[in-house]
Amino acid sequence: MSCVIINYGMGNLASVSKALRKIGVEHSISANPEEVMRAQSLVLPGVGSFQAAMHNLNASGLSDAIRQRMNSGDAKLIGICLGMQLLADTGFEPERCAGLGLIPGEVVELECSLPVPHMGWNNLDVRNPLYFQDLQDLDFYFVHSYHFKPAHEADVAALTNYDGPVVAAVQRGPVFGCQFHPEKSQLSGLKVLEHFFTKHA
Amino acid sequence: MLKIRIIPVLTFNGFALVKTKQFGNPRMVGNPIQAARVFNSRNVDELVFTDITATYSGRKINLPFVKEVIDECFMPVTIGGGIRSLEDINDLLKIGADKVLVKNLAISDRNFIAQGARMFGAQCISVAIDARKTGSGSWELYRKTPTGLDAVEFARMVEQEGAGEIVLTSVDRDGMMHGFDTDLVNSVLEAVNIPVVAVGGGGSPDHFLELFQKTNVKAAGASAIFYFTQFTSYDIKKKLGDHGFPARFMAAGN
Repeated sequence: MSCVIINYGMGNLASVSKALRKIGVEHSISANPEEVMRAQSLVLPGVGSFQAAMHNLNASGLSDAIRQRMNSGDAKLIGICLGMQLLADTGFEPERCAGLGLIPGEVVELECSLPVPHMGWNNLDVRNPLYFQDLQDLDFYFVHSYHFKPAHEADVAALTNYDGPVVAAVQRGPVFGCQFHPEKSQLSGLKVLEHFFTKHA
Repeated sequence: MLKIRIIPVLTFNGFALVKTKQFGNPRMVGNPIQAARVFNSRNVDELVFTDITATYSGRKINLPFVKEVIDECFMPVTIGGGIRSLEDINDLLKIGADKVLVKNLAISDRNFIAQGARMFGAQCISVAIDARKTGSGSWELYRKTPTGLDAVEFARMVEQEGAGEIVLTSVDRDGMMHGFDTDLVNSVLEAVNIPVVAVGGGGSPDHFLELFQKTNVKAAGASAIFYFTQFTSYDIKKKLGDHGFPARFMAAGN
């Protein structure tokens, strides 16, 4: 199984790569759309702003490659943190901007009475157990100021609570995304990655 | 619900881990890579690693070595020591640091925190504030040479500049293991809204309980307790959990 971590100039590639090595998933790190088109699984990491990320993905031809690859039906994708948010139709960080459109919904600013960013360890309320088997109620590491609001409730894979429910993971068929950082969430996070690479949606 | 954080703080002198008392008398306590491996296996919430002699010796932090430390960690890691430019921050983030800890440059260059926060995001810029008590309710910002600055005022200022977190160490309590300076913690918490990590004095789980009961802090750092006692971060969190504080316990497979 070939796995590509998509390098579009944003995000902590070193930590994601280290986590995949730890669970024994062979992978390459690439900015090349052709390699994305050949991969069986894609990892879309990301730290930074939605608009800057989409600009990089569009300019390099990676957006089209990711969409085409996922439309072909035999690949899977995991988006992490900003990479999860980019799966949406639309983002607003800092201005309205089109996303990859793989899971319908919008990414908007967190509005709550608690400090933003939502940073630290928080537990999950799992809605789709596929990649969260035995992980209900365990804590994962979050750091984000915007959050994904999927158009369809069926696409919510897990929620967390930060002055109200916040979407912690989304899934639509082979497209999965987590707002938390599995590569920074100790054994619980590695378990989610392991489930993603070994289970089929 | 968001959990409180218990964070081992590793201080490094360029060769080995050292533990100081009131910022003096460094005692060698081990190898950073082994220590990081042990703390990772104990499932700690975060780790802070700082080279406490880099700036004073005029050298940069040893990036390949720090990368080996970070490679042991599957939790967030904050790295500090010898940061002199935005490029130094970028180098640390690239090898897998989640946050950087800035001390001296935050004091000498008043724009540095703002620039770093703009470029890399406030969430990854932590500022180290070392405070020494000068009287009742007053603390001086401490470094090798006197700063004459009020530590609480300085905390307020770095928050305005865009710091994402403050690692607040009581110089008087450092390595003494007889409890945190809760007055200092409360004074800083009254001044700022960003997360504060309280460090200095935690020698037993009861000290941590006292800290969380007497202040509204959500994170505590410590080192001596992990080197010189039988207590682990689990013991501390067990104590806190038993008293109703939200703590994070074992992960899957444990």
